[in-house]
Amino acid sequence: MDVIANLGRSSLNILRGMGAALIMLLQSIIGKPQPRKSFPLFMRQMYVVGVQSMLIILISGLFIGMVLGLQGYTILVDFGAEQALGPMVALSLLRELGPVVTALLFAGRAGSALTAEIGLMRATEQLSSLEMMAVDPLRRVVSPRFWAGFISMPMLALLFTAVGILGGYFVGVQWLGVDDGAFWSVMQASVDWRDDVMNGVIKSLVFAFVVTWIALYKGYTAEPTSEGISAATTSTVVTGSLAVLGFDFVLTAIMFS
Amino acid sequence: MYDQKGCTVDNLVELKDVYFNRGNTVIYEGVNLQVPRGKITAIMGPSGCGKTTMLRLIGGQLKPRSGSVDFAGHQVPELSRGELYELRKRMSMLFQSGALFTDMSVSDNVAFPILEHTKLPREIVDTIVKMKLQAVGLRGAGGLQPDELSGGMARRAALARAIALDPELIMYDEPFTGQDPISMGMIVKLIRSLNQTLGLTSIIVSHDIHETMGIADHVAIIANKQVVAQGPPQALLDHESALVRQFLNGEPDGPVPFHYQANNYLDDLMARGG
Amino acid sequence: METRKIEILVGVFVAATIVALVFLALRVASNTDITRGSSYTLSASFDNIGGLKVRSPVKIGGVTVGRVTNIYLEGDYYEPVVEMQISTTYDQIPETSTVSVLTSGLLGEQYLGIEPGFIDEGIMMLENGDRFMNSNSAMVLEELIGQFLFSQGDN
Repeated sequence: MDVIANLGRSSLNILRGMGAALIMLLQSIIGKPQPRKSFPLFMRQMYVVGVQSMLIILISGLFIGMVLGLQGYTILVDFGAEQALGPMVALSLLRELGPVVTALLFAGRAGSALTAEIGLMRATEQLSSLEMMAVDPLRRVVSPRFWAGFISMPMLALLFTAVGILGGYFVGVQWLGVDDGAFWSVMQASVDWRDDVMNGVIKSLVFAFVVTWIALYKGYTAEPTSEGISAATTSTVVTGSLAVLGFDFVLTAIMFS
Repeated sequence: MYDQKGCTVDNLVELKDVYFNRGNTVIYEGVNLQVPRGKITAIMGPSGCGKTTMLRLIGGQLKPRSGSVDFAGHQVPELSRGELYELRKRMSMLFQSGALFTDMSVSDNVAFPILEHTKLPREIVDTIVKMKLQAVGLRGAGGLQPDELSGGMARRAALARAIALDPELIMYDEPFTGQDPISMGMIVKLIRSLNQTLGLTSIIVSHDIHETMGIADHVAIIANKQVVAQGPPQALLDHESALVRQFLNGEPDGPVPFHYQANNYLDDLMARGG
Repeated sequence: METRKIEILVGVFVAATIVALVFLALRVASNTDITRGSSYTLSASFDNIGGLKVRSPVKIGGVTVGRVTNIYLEGDYYEPVVEMQISTTYDQIPETSTVSVLTSGLLGEQYLGIEPGFIDEGIMMLENGDRFMNSNSAMVLEELIGQFLFSQGDN
């Protein structure tokens, strides 16, 4: 009986948490837009969330592309099919690695920072203080961060993919000697704009939504103590990464099967 | 509510028969509190008795389970979100940590509520900011970032921000905690002078008896989930309740026992030995 | 100053993303989808379509002129029918043409190849909704081997 009661209790808690997270999100993004006030805040968050994640994304993208080039070549050359290196690198980056690895890195880099920042604002009573000044912290603090995360992650994923393909090109063509023309033309023949590029972008929009939402909710509901904030930050990275991988499977099943 | 001469004075804030729970813990059972307009009211009590909760009830950040919280004729718990935000423009709260926004300079912190709620041109806002900072003695520190300020300075800067919109009510949450004697003296002086010059109503939540009793016009003592005594400071010092006297005189034992509830000491020791 | 720096860096971020998107569009993906412009639909029936799929290319002499849009079975004998969209740039395909299911390379993907037929008086051009009269089905490896063995036995 206890087992069933525990199961019921934890399911209810999860549902309650999801409901609270949904309400937080709706309250922060629905409402009369105030472009004059919110645009500078949004720009600042684009800088913090997007620009400051650019370096790690570009470097990781380059290395992952280079590894793909190297690994792909050693496998394909056994079948005499090294011409297929281009599509292999491009398709794996566009469909999977670009959106997924970007989302995982984003959860670790920007997501944890968002959680810690908002948790700290709660712990130092800055959020309460905003409320007492008759300024809605959801609109003021959560909303610009949500939009910045939601918009910048797909942008980062595109950068990651493009740089990764270049990395694969450098290793495959410049170093290992795959034919330059074949690399690009075979790639072009098998990569479809709508099926591959656009589906990748859609994936990364979904991941951006989920990861940013989790990060903000965890920060907003963090215990206002140092232990609470560190637990919330860890939880953002763990929950965010698992959610990305879970959604990736579902989306892949819908899009590419 | 009567003052010393026996004539009625009007109350800016009035709590009647307030019950409040946090989770399953009962915080208040039938609290009544009057805050006279234009005076300094102190709310005192042992740690953990829910003094800060009182301020959050008045500010509408928490809702009581039952009872009425009245601010200038408005029932705070019954207001819609918009009405509540409108009402909050007339009150402000000085948080224990100061709660300055860490990503803005001191001047921008003070300017924030003005820019947020008025459409004044920037030059006028800057002038107001200078006046408010001058009032707390920090006009020279306007360009500093909050992390460059000492604890006392941060609290004064937060005070400048709290009075930026000339509120009717300021609530001070533990304003004296963790301050050295000099900055404590400065804050005591500021609270008193702001109250006199601006005609503010102030509520101080504190357990520093000497500083608080020194400046308060009206004191309420919370213990055992209720307001056990309220009145002018002098009247409370020789209050009939032993609990009030214990608290105000800082005696280690009394109605609030030194020992946490336990079974017989001797029995406990013998049981272990055996 | 501070705001300006932020604006410039966000601008760089946006510009870099646009460059990446253009790179993906022009260099990586086949954005020259032949059926994106105006097109018309033709169909053909086969005995066997092998590994042909929706979106497989339709080619004349190796040049892509359209894509397969629909594959279904028709009639009492469940005859496979393939619908294809052809770009209106190539609207002079005579009705004597032959359409075949071909394979690019030994193990490559399958596609439809159109072999334009002769043009004579009285020969019409195929129009929207028309069906090819001549078609060659896909080569199925097992049948090929069977035929080969059979012909060997005759000798």
